[in-house]
Amino acid sequence: MKHYLPDPDQIPGEAQPQELPPWGETRVVGRSLSRVDGYELVSGTAVYTLDLTLPDMLHAVIVRCPHAHARVVRVETSRAEAMPGVRAVLTASTPGAEIPWYFGDDGPTSRLFDSHCRYAGEEVAAVAAETVHQAWDAARAIEVEYEVLPFVIDEAEALEADAPAVHEGGNLTEQREFARGDVEAAFAEADVVLGGTFRTPCELHAPLETFVSVARWDGDRLTVWDSTQGVFARQQELARYFRLPLTSVRVICPYVGGGFGAKLSTGKYTVIAALAARMTARPVKLAVTREDSFLSEGNRPANTIRLKAAAMRDGTLTALEGEFLGSVGAYPSGAVSPYLLLALYDCANARAATTEVYTNAGRARAFRAPAFPPCAWALEQTIDALAEEIGMDPVEFRLKNLATVLQLRDDLPYTSIGLRECIIEGAREFGWESARSRPQQDGHLRRGVGMAAGMWAYPGEPRATVFVKLFADGSVNLNMGASDIGTGTKTVMAMVVAEELGVPLEQIQIEHADTGTTQYAPASGGSQTVVVSSPAVRAAAVDVKGQLLEIAAAELERPAEGLVLRDGQVVPIDDEGAAVPLAELRGLRQRQNIVGVGRRHPHPEGKIALPFCAQFADVEVNTLTGEVRVARLLAAHDSGRVMSYLTYENQVFGGMAMGIGFGLTEDRVLDSQTGKMVNHNWHDYKIPTAKDVPLEQTCVPIDPHDTECNTTGAKGLGEPAHIPTAAAIANAVYHATGVRVHDAPITAMQMVRLLAETRGD
Amino acid sequence: MLPQFDYVRPGSLSEAIEHGATDGAILHAGGIDLLGCLRDGVFTADKLVAIAHLAELRGIDETRDGGLRIGALTTLSEIAAHPLIGERYTVLSQGAGSAASPQLRNQGTIAGNLCQRPRCWYFRGDFHCLRKGGSMCYAVAGANQYHCIFGGDRCYIVHPSDTAPALVALDARVRIVGPSGQRVVPLDSFFVPPGQDIRRETILEPGDLVVEVLLPPPGMGLRSVYRKVRARGVWDFALAGAAAALTISDGRVTGGRLVLSGVAPIPWRAAEAERALAGSRLDAETIRRAAQACVADARPMTHNGYKVDLVRGVVEETLRSLA
Amino acid sequence: MSEDSGKRQDSQRGISRRNFLGTMGAGTLGVAVSGRAAPAQGAVAVASDGTQPVTLRINGRRVDLRVEPRWTLLDVLRDHLELVGTKLGCARGECGACTVLVDGQAQYACMTLALEAEGHEITTVEGLMHGEELGAVQQAFVEEDAFQCGYCTPGQVVAAEGLLRGNPNPDLAEIQEGMSGNLCRCGAYDHIFKAVRRAAQLKQLGTG
Ligand SMILES: Cc1cc2nc3c(=O)[nH]c(=O)nc-3n(C[C@H](O)[C@H](O)[C@H](O)COP(=O)(O)OP(=O)(O)OC[C@H]3O[C@@H](n4cnc5c(N)ncnc54)[C@H](O)[C@@H]3O)c2cc1C
Ligand code: FES
Ligand code: FES
Repeated sequence: MKHYLPDPDQIPGEAQPQELPPWGETRVVGRSLSRVDGYELVSGTAVYTLDLTLPDMLHAVIVRCPHAHARVVRVETSRAEAMPGVRAVLTASTPGAEIPWYFGDDGPTSRLFDSHCRYAGEEVAAVAAETVHQAWDAARAIEVEYEVLPFVIDEAEALEADAPAVHEGGNLTEQREFARGDVEAAFAEADVVLGGTFRTPCELHAPLETFVSVARWDGDRLTVWDSTQGVFARQQELARYFRLPLTSVRVICPYVGGGFGAKLSTGKYTVIAALAARMTARPVKLAVTREDSFLSEGNRPANTIRLKAAAMRDGTLTALEGEFLGSVGAYPSGAVSPYLLLALYDCANARAATTEVYTNAGRARAFRAPAFPPCAWALEQTIDALAEEIGMDPVEFRLKNLATVLQLRDDLPYTSIGLRECIIEGAREFGWESARSRPQQDGHLRRGVGMAAGMWAYPGEPRATVFVKLFADGSVNLNMGASDIGTGTKTVMAMVVAEELGVPLEQIQIEHADTGTTQYAPASGGSQTVVVSSPAVRAAAVDVKGQLLEIAAAELERPAEGLVLRDGQVVPIDDEGAAVPLAELRGLRQRQNIVGVGRRHPHPEGKIALPFCAQFADVEVNTLTGEVRVARLLAAHDSGRVMSYLTYENQVFGGMAMGIGFGLTEDRVLDSQTGKMVNHNWHDYKIPTAKDVPLEQTCVPIDPHDTECNTTGAKGLGEPAHIPTAAAIANAVYHATGVRVHDAPITAMQMVRLLAETRGD
Repeated sequence: MLPQFDYVRPGSLSEAIEHGATDGAILHAGGIDLLGCLRDGVFTADKLVAIAHLAELRGIDETRDGGLRIGALTTLSEIAAHPLIGERYTVLSQGAGSAASPQLRNQGTIAGNLCQRPRCWYFRGDFHCLRKGGSMCYAVAGANQYHCIFGGDRCYIVHPSDTAPALVALDARVRIVGPSGQRVVPLDSFFVPPGQDIRRETILEPGDLVVEVLLPPPGMGLRSVYRKVRARGVWDFALAGAAAALTISDGRVTGGRLVLSGVAPIPWRAAEAERALAGSRLDAETIRRAAQACVADARPMTHNGYKVDLVRGVVEETLRSLA
Repeated sequence: MSEDSGKRQDSQRGISRRNFLGTMGAGTLGVAVSGRAAPAQGAVAVASDGTQPVTLRINGRRVDLRVEPRWTLLDVLRDHLELVGTKLGCARGECGACTVLVDGQAQYACMTLALEAEGHEITTVEGLMHGEELGAVQQAFVEEDAFQCGYCTPGQVVAAEGLLRGNPNPDLAEIQEGMSGNLCRCGAYDHIFKAVRRAAQLKQLGTG
């Protein structure tokens, strides 16, 4: 997660807040309840950033470099400036626009408008005008003269001595090595050694709501409505760019139309909007077009992974070795990770080497389990192949080699590990054994089943503060900084409050994702939101409960321990008839509010809490045309406690849908002659449609009843759901056809060729 | 963002023709393809001539000879849902039903579908290619996985339409009216391959309007089918497809056509395969021979060799489904 | 079905070279006809930088405004009428976020010029509400949790409404096909299918 989210181990320690005992039976948490914001979402009344119009607002658009590598020689703006409705034209030489640009914590690597354009799509100028149409007309009238430079888009070529340098100092950004045990010896002694080179495509996030910010200044105070996954992260970055105290920057995002990691870091468009707003003294909205967002707002880079693995005939995995190559694009980011290779299975001898390079392409950003799905693609196919080679069922082979500690971190123990149950329960529910031995029908359609396992590595950034406020009538206000990026955060957190305070969901009002009015929470990424915020919400609710019961105990003249909160009432356990509605408590009426504060406790000492999963795929391959149809998917996840069943299942299916795209259809294509992306739209970059997902999907939650991970017992879910899907499909395709597909995606284009080669035509 | 253009909504067909013939004017039926091109700057238009309200261009009617007349503005949805078309001209129903997405089919017209511009990503993208008046076809040395294996000549587009191959297979004709009067043209000779003219895809001249598509009466024993292979389940053009309309009597193929989509700059008649089928039974051997005959003249490029296998496969599957 | 031959129709329409020329001439280009929401009979002409008064019927209400030729129905709904329930995803007919009903059929508002919407009945997600109450499809989407981020949702809801108006009792395969013009990057498809089935039930029960 380097470059994307803070390392939890680097966060300064804090005083130990009170730990709460784990929940026993829950009454609300875990149920299938409708979302608290469902009405807004289906009625069209939810206002997303792109929907926002402020009084007197201008619209800005960005002029981008059309070349993969170029130097800006001259920008001619006079024609544009004279056009109707134009209020500002911004270029590198505009006063105030000489803003250094950072990628992560390291020093600046670029500037807001960098005259050295390192990929096709880089920001060169911007226009703010009264209407979007006027802004575009003016943007088209800006003439830019470029000195076109030689470019490099291929990762391997980028390393060649005479490759064009994306940055001074060459294209190699980082090389790392990891090793344990004696890999050479293990390979030499193994019964079976297998290997292959796997490739995964460059995948684009493509959230349905594009990248958009609305900026407004009140004197020296900046307010930004931003389509973001984390308002506090955005606030910090904007404060740095504009050299403002944090309190002078307010970032708000009530609804975000998807992000998948791309909306974690600040895009230049946000700063351009703020700058244009300052120049014009008007609010400015800047929405990146769909096409441009594909060029410049992040991707999961293509990976080339060379894997080698060894096993003994008794089913012991004895060695794993991987070489990883990927490009971060034109600016610092992450591209590859051997984590899964080094952590998923118990393997004494393992080695990995990673190489990351710059190329003249859009910069990578965090994308749903960064680097994990590519690694799963390679690793889980290799494991499948090894199992076959030693004549063992892939389920059994995996079960024989599961890790029980985190070998990557000196055998750190897990707070819980439900992977074994995921595989066993998943296989049982899926009908693995019978499907595996199902006879093929005659004809050209072949069925096959496959599976893959996975885990996710980010335990979360353990800091968040939450306020819960009880009103005199018993209704509750939940005030938290976390964003709900579609995972149901608001609903889950309201359920936690309802669990503790016994108020119905309808009586819980939520304030969230606003740096001006809510408390710090980390960005919603890395599958940490529930893990980090739900314990803080619980603590705040418990704080309210304590105060409330104290009042009630005094009024009812009963000990607080003998009282519970249920259905908006204080109920004496041994005398339910004496229950009193909260609104009738004099002490509450006297105070009007009870405010509880909850803070996230630190992670457990000496242990780590991570989620695990196993997914199963049933496919049909048309051997005449190479088409692959996913007929059935099943996911068994250990993400700890199921906080809300509907949103849990939804998240799992959504992760798998994205996995279908990664495995079967998605692939960014750069033109080798110009370095430009040719498929920067939703038609040519193919994300899965309703017709690409199976009609039969099953979600099997595995709850190991983890009482150590945190005080709600939940682990992350969003990212693991996407990790093994493509690999499971590839294994199923192999089972159906005997063709091992090394390169994702498994398109009909590739498959029909591979099938023909196998037949020998 | 759309650039500026004038807009006229003529009061009659003749006015539409008059407007259509003026410099820089272009017809707007459903507008789907047109607006997409304008938005992407594929070409410019000074004036849009809207024709969607012209009632005489609508409707599906049986003709006296037992064929069918389909008004130019008939939407793809209407065609796909029409019971008579589904029954007698299945290939067309399936072609129309497999195009684009439900919403686009509700809006896109049959004439617009036949006249849509190519989907080559260089042509549509920010590349000054040969078809746009530039000096090179970027597909030759570029990302040509979606390009043609037949009929390329300096330019290597594929024809995007799913209804065109079906209509060619059915030997349909189009009625065209224009400044110089009207003519009825077999669809076979409606499309222009790059070898003939690299800047356009149809024979239409400025001011020409397709007013209707005419289907001949279905031949005795006509069985037809369209099978399209695409990269995802829907909302996608053909990687390759086969439109077959064969007359079969006593188990033998007595006539008909086999037309390929997604592999050539125009709907591609597989003449060799048609010959291989004529007079034969649709047994495994004949089918294999016909499928092989389809690709005999294929000239794949660097990244589209798979289309040779795919055409063989899709033709085999299509013919099997008729056997 | 009529028995007309193509030929007779032609002569009825009077499209022969002579006839054609006969109807031509300067001044045939009429002035704008507006103020009524019926398919425009007469001619309309608007210059690229001019605006044209149009009357649209949106969610059963009559709306008068002036539009530029290049404004799409989506531009008008979102930027001029503040009906932002209809979402902008791509502006190129490739996502379905902008789905509206045009005379009861689902279409993309981003691919429809505002001028072309004249004379048609437009329904947006806002128009599926019964006052403050959710319509059947909307209710079903909430019950089945048929969304994640919710951004594609209004388009999905309207597409489902269009599907069910044409086919009140679709099977699963028909639902999958009918909903195939709306992307959901969050991948809530499974729940969306369930919601459409549930909506069909609700409609049959007459709830919502
Ligand atoms: C995302 C997307 C995916 C698509 N996928 C497919 C697909 O898989 N298969 C497929 O076949 N199509 C596909 N299409 C194309 C779509 O079907 C066509 O764009 C549509 O049918 C065009 O109809 P229209 O009425 O909107 O045409 P318009 O855009 O109005 O017109 C298209 C062209 O035809 C001309 N024209 C229109 N009517 C006439 C006429 N009567 N006489 C003369 N010229 C005329 C216009 O001047 C214009 O140049 C796709 C389109 C999009 C946007
Ligand atoms: S915004 Fe209209 S289809 Fe995407
Ligand atoms: S709910 Fe997010 S795109 Fe569908």
